[in-house]
Amino acid sequence: RPGTDGLLALAIVHVLLKRGAVDWEFLIRYTNAPWLVVQTPGVSGDGLFARDDQDNPLVWDQDAQAFANGHLPDIAPALLASVELPDGRRAKTVFSLLSERYLDERYAPESVAAECGIAAATINRIAHEIAHVAFNEAVELPIRWTDMHGRTHDKVIGRPVAMHAMRGVSAHSNGFQTCRALHLLQMLLGALEGPGNFRARAPYPRRIPMRTLPENDPKVIFAPDTPLKRMPNGNPTRPEDLVIDKDGKPLRIDRAYSWESPLAAHGLMHMVITNAANHDPYPIDTLLLFMANMAWNSSMNTGDVREMLARTAAHGEYAIPFVVVVDAFQSETVSFADLVLPDTTYLERYDAISLLDRPISEPDAAADSIRHPILKPDRDVRPWQDVLVELASRLKFPAFTREDGSRKFSDYRDFIVNYEKLPGIGFLAGWRGKEGESHLRGEPNPKQWEKYIEHQSFFSYPWPENMRYYRFANKDYLEFAEKHALFGTPPVQVILQIYSEPLQKFRLAGQGLYDGPQPPSATDRERLATYFDPLPFWYEPLESRARSHEAYPFHAITQRPMMMYHSWDSQNVWLRQIVAQNYLYMNRGTARKLGLADLDWVWVTSRHARIRCQLKTMEGCEANTVWTWNAIGRQAGTAGLGAEAPEATAGFLLNHLISELLPKHASDERRLTNSDPVTGQAAWFDLRVSIRKCPPGETGVWPTVAPAMRIPGDDGVRPAILRWTSKSPR
Amino acid sequence: MKPALSIVFFTVASGAGLGLLALLALADLCPVPLLSPAVLPRGIVLALLLVAAGLASSVLHLAKPSNAWRSFARLRTSWLSREAVLAALLFPLAFFYLLVVSFGAAGVRRAVSAIVICLLAWGLLLCTAMIYASLKPIRQWRTAWTPAAYLLLGHWSGALVLLVLAIGYGGEPRIWAWLAAALGVAALVAKLGYWRHGAADRRGKSVLTLEQAIGVPQGVRPPGVSVAQARLFDAGHTQRTFLTDEFIFRLARRHAQALRGAALVLGFVIPLIWLVAGPRHWAAALAVAVLALAGLLAERWLFFADARHTVRLYHGDART
Amino acid sequence: MKLGLLIDLDTCVGCHACATACKEWNASSSVSGPLSDYQPFGAEPSGVWLNRVRHYEVGDYPASKTINFPMSCLHCADADCVSVCPTGASYKRADGIVLVDQDKCMGCNLCAWACPYGARELDEASGTMKKCTLCVDRIYDELLPPEDRQPACVLACPTHARMFGDFDDPESEVSRVTAERGGFGLLPELGYAPVNRYLPPREPKALPGVDDARALLERGLASLASPAIRR
Ligand SMILES: Nc1nc2c(c(=O)[nH]1)N[C@H]1C(S)=C(S)[C@@H](COP(=O)(O)OP(=O)(O)OC[C@H]3O[C@@H](n4cnc5c(=O)[nH]c(N)nc54)[C@H](O)[C@@H]3O)O[C@H]1N2
Ligand SMILES: Nc1nc2c(c(=O)[nH]1)N[C@H]1C(S)=C(S)[C@@H](COP(=O)(O)OP(=O)(O)OC[C@H]3O[C@@H](n4cnc5c(=O)[nH]c(N)nc54)[C@H](O)[C@@H]3O)O[C@H]1N2
Ligand code: SF4
Ligand code: SF4
Ligand code: SF4
Ligand code: SF4
Ligand code: SF4
Ligand SMILES: [Mo]
Repeated sequence: RPGTDGLLALAIVHVLLKRGAVDWEFLIRYTNAPWLVVQTPGVSGDGLFARDDQDNPLVWDQDAQAFANGHLPDIAPALLASVELPDGRRAKTVFSLLSERYLDERYAPESVAAECGIAAATINRIAHEIAHVAFNEAVELPIRWTDMHGRTHDKVIGRPVAMHAMRGVSAHSNGFQTCRALHLLQMLLGALEGPGNFRARAPYPRRIPMRTLPENDPKVIFAPDTPLKRMPNGNPTRPEDLVIDKDGKPLRIDRAYSWESPLAAHGLMHMVITNAANHDPYPIDTLLLFMANMAWNSSMNTGDVREMLARTAAHGEYAIPFVVVVDAFQSETVSFADLVLPDTTYLERYDAISLLDRPISEPDAAADSIRHPILKPDRDVRPWQDVLVELASRLKFPAFTREDGSRKFSDYRDFIVNYEKLPGIGFLAGWRGKEGESHLRGEPNPKQWEKYIEHQSFFSYPWPENMRYYRFANKDYLEFAEKHALFGTPPVQVILQIYSEPLQKFRLAGQGLYDGPQPPSATDRERLATYFDPLPFWYEPLESRARSHEAYPFHAITQRPMMMYHSWDSQNVWLRQIVAQNYLYMNRGTARKLGLADLDWVWVTSRHARIRCQLKTMEGCEANTVWTWNAIGRQAGTAGLGAEAPEATAGFLLNHLISELLPKHASDERRLTNSDPVTGQAAWFDLRVSIRKCPPGETGVWPTVAPAMRIPGDDGVRPAILRWTSKSPR
Repeated sequence: MKPALSIVFFTVASGAGLGLLALLALADLCPVPLLSPAVLPRGIVLALLLVAAGLASSVLHLAKPSNAWRSFARLRTSWLSREAVLAALLFPLAFFYLLVVSFGAAGVRRAVSAIVICLLAWGLLLCTAMIYASLKPIRQWRTAWTPAAYLLLGHWSGALVLLVLAIGYGGEPRIWAWLAAALGVAALVAKLGYWRHGAADRRGKSVLTLEQAIGVPQGVRPPGVSVAQARLFDAGHTQRTFLTDEFIFRLARRHAQALRGAALVLGFVIPLIWLVAGPRHWAAALAVAVLALAGLLAERWLFFADARHTVRLYHGDART
Repeated sequence: MKLGLLIDLDTCVGCHACATACKEWNASSSVSGPLSDYQPFGAEPSGVWLNRVRHYEVGDYPASKTINFPMSCLHCADADCVSVCPTGASYKRADGIVLVDQDKCMGCNLCAWACPYGARELDEASGTMKKCTLCVDRIYDELLPPEDRQPACVLACPTHARMFGDFDDPESEVSRVTAERGGFGLLPELGYAPVNRYLPPREPKALPGVDDARALLERGLASLASPAIRR
């Protein structure tokens, strides 16, 4: 059942622990399983690691029968131990804590079967199959590698089990803890970073916790003409890192890194328009939207969001006074813009898919790539990247200006080649150095773009065998990575965190036990205390708890059509021949019970809104779940579509049903974001609905939106036939 | 199959024309004069007009008529090619026959050309029928009933047209009435036979299923399951395609029944009753001929609309 | 020679990449391009495709399986589509490829009727019949690097569910895999002897039942269970 993966994973953990099917070596060498955790309930410091005076985590060394620095090699740390620390406090190992929790009957297959919708016997079977493959079908490769303690090993062991969590997990409000549960499962099996395992791709692995903190100093943020000292996005490790003012109010319009969404490393795009329109936490005067269709498929609660974008506040001004939209097509959002900045398409500009951002690396190779113009724009458009460089230069941003005040970079192309984050480190890793002789690090190469174009726009740096596995503890890799700014300084072994101390710090803040900032709101305190559990746990998605299952018996989710990218392709002349309208898919047996059949029109109602759409039945769908393709529905007139386009007349969005705000609980002081309480990840898939057949004669999608106004220069004429070819047509 | 009106009209019109032509030639060969001399030349002209009209409409059906002349290329394997060649031969030879007839010349030359024309007409009728009867993906058509029906229906409608002339230009129509009636009954039998065969075939074991089409017997099924039903989930397009237009023609049962009724009553019952009653006036004959041809148009439309191409399996039909 | 495609129904995820790559290559191919699109922005977007991916479900929930089913011309050995063609536009080459000569075709549709598999589509704009060319203008192109002398659809497939080769040569990869995995041809009943082959889904490898796994595990884990493990 949607939203229950965490419970399933932890039930499997339960079985593995009972079987003792656990990779002890892996846990002791590479994870914090043996680390000692202070146990002083109700007292500050509870749940933090016991540390020595150099701040090293303590373990109990079975050889010396004494406490030892957990980082030291060759000691024999106890996995199961409950001890009294030198200072008299009690402490238990992480592994003791996790055994106590997951061996509990709560996580027995029998107790989770009903919630997961998977028979206990099946869960048992899966657990044993996983263990069997991990331990009885392990693969060994004769590859020499050296660990961080300088010990050379003559083989790598792979326990061929791998798990990949994407939005099916993260788009539920329990997604973060569910991902941790899956991670825990792989750590217990020793199935990480070995052959056949989930393996990090450059620039990962990174130090834990990461050292990239978001800028949170109001003096810096609000100082005029002053650049931020840190990135606006980052990874808080403790309450001090939150981006809030002295009263604990969010500093960011999306409320990221506030008490409500402390670890919002991706920001909360889906909250920006609502917050801005409600002037909460504050009003803004300009909203700039780039490459995001926020008035349509990219927003929850699309109907109201469109109203907010046009809303006039009391004094007759727009609630959001000035909206700038940067788009390459006439998207649904363009209609709401005060200023449209038409962008080039990706065929008409330079782009860098950089190792500094989200590169295309493979486990066996660091890689990045570029795009370069293959078409001349035939209309008045500018590459947004050039516009940004232009703005930055005219505003004389330090990074874009020389001492003498003259501009550093002529345009984006120039910027990408010559900007250096650190000496020798730039956006593109390939063919650096004057002659393109050095890779990953080296001085700027004026001919770098040409080099990429010569190599089909890709650069790939294959890792030598000895750097391919166990990179979190691989000396050769980590030292190399440090030299090339893929890892911090100094290079240290990355200890995999089964137990997360940063989470515990936030939890203590929620419990009022943290010596540092504490949330003023009782609601936030309660959320921190509940959801910032240092060990993975499962809780029912917030939306489901907010409403009774009887009223809204179905989970409603979307799925990406493999042949389309969001609303961005649903107008593509070829792809819309494959899918020009979407349906709501339901399990055939369920449909029969409800007296529903193929192509019936149905009302789909959530706690927030309702839509009318057309139903199709299928076999391969969980009995209590309905789904549809994401972002097929379009507003007529957008992206060149005619008024009769099926995308507009028959296609629909589930987004209307998803509220960006949770219903207000008795205990809540305010309505909270419909997101993961830890990371602020949008809970797109928590949606629950009821489904009712439309009365006879009631057909057609609802709601519908009037066709978009025609943009200047569009005569509305569309060809009746297209015949693409690079040869002479016959 | 999509019942393309151009093809429906073509097969009915040229069918009648060729039937008429064959009957005229046969009558001409017959030692005892069965027709007043005025009928033969007029009949030939009328027949050629019907055939020409049919062929014209069939050319309309081509997406690229400018290449129609190439269609003589595959005599050895293609019934359509053969049809094209015979059609091309028909007109010059028929004109020659017309001249021979018009100048009242008797003797060998006339006899030979009559025989040739008769064989040509039969050949053409057969080609048209075999174009359909030879298509493996459409089992309803793959039966001897198809050519039988085309040949007999051609002569039946031809005979009714001939009767109009026979009465109109004086002469002794009674033999023709009985001959027509005989042909009518034969044609009716052929058509009923074709329909029965189609119905039987749909129940028969030679029927193909969606499971066969996608290889369920060869292992395309869930693990551990031996027999499983297959269903179309998504055709890979939400709007029309050439394939859905051409092959996925859905005809409601009642409409099919109604059309069959119309085909039977107009195409056979009324004309036969009239024939048995003994025809008198040429105008009535004309009216009956027109009714009959209308009936045959319905019959021909059904011939296509009822036919189920195997492509339908891949679009979700459970069986052909 | 019997050149053709081998399609693995076990690994095909139904992404339509082969279909779009096919349309992209052949739209600009002088063999069959362009491939017209009708009402590109309108109510009935449609057009000519030489390769279409359909999706089926086999069996009833929960014991059901989704089958993604790409279909293009199967380059049949006994291809009626060729024999019925009056103009000679449809022809079969010595290497087994079935092609349509766009200069000769008169658009009578008879070949499409004769094809049981829906592999031929009339181009309303050119008035001629279009079909899979097996990328004849790629596979023999000496200017392409050898690894690229393959059909566009094969190169595009992200799951490597498509293979191209000579089914006449028992040593060819397509022949070997077909033999190993019980590759089959579509609707043999009709006697077209299609060359393309489809691989059925693999039966999952049988794993030990819970109890055997338990026994095995004890052994597998023994190696790890030393009294004190050192870091
Ligand atoms: N073709 C295509 N590719 C894309 C995109 C696109 O639009 N089109 N978008 C890109 C972007 S921005 C993103 S974020 C990624 C997202 O990539 P994915 O994470 O793959 O996104 P989805 O396809 O929306 O969701 C994946 C699956 O999660 C399932 N699911 C829903 N709830 C649950 C649950 O509780 N448990 C489990 N196990 N599964 C569940 C859904 O049925 C769906 O099949 O894709 C990227 N790639
Ligand atoms: N119901 C539901 N809603 C969802 C999701 C879901 O799974 N279910 N997924 C969510 C997720 S993970 C994401 S990432 C969002 C994605 O949603 P969006 O980010 O909105 O993705 P698109 O709509 O594909 O693209 C946004 C805009 O980029 C424009 N564009 C295309 N090319 C260019 C270009 O070169 N330059 C510029 N400036 N603009 C361009 C397009 O015209 C479009 O208007 O959707 C979210 N919405
Ligand atoms: S799936 Fe398609 S869009 Fe996504 S990365 Fe691969 S090629 Fe690009
Ligand atoms: S698949 Fe169809 S088009 Fe291709 S050769 Fe066979 S019959 Fe001809
Ligand atoms: S459509 Fe073209 S290729 Fe097909 S049979 Fe007619 S002439 Fe031949
Ligand atoms: S072989 Fe070429 S023409 Fe045939 S389907 Fe593949 S890409 Fe299309
Ligand atoms: S590209 Fe490959 S996986 Fe995608 S549909 Fe085609 S054959 Fe299947
Ligand atoms: Mo996304």
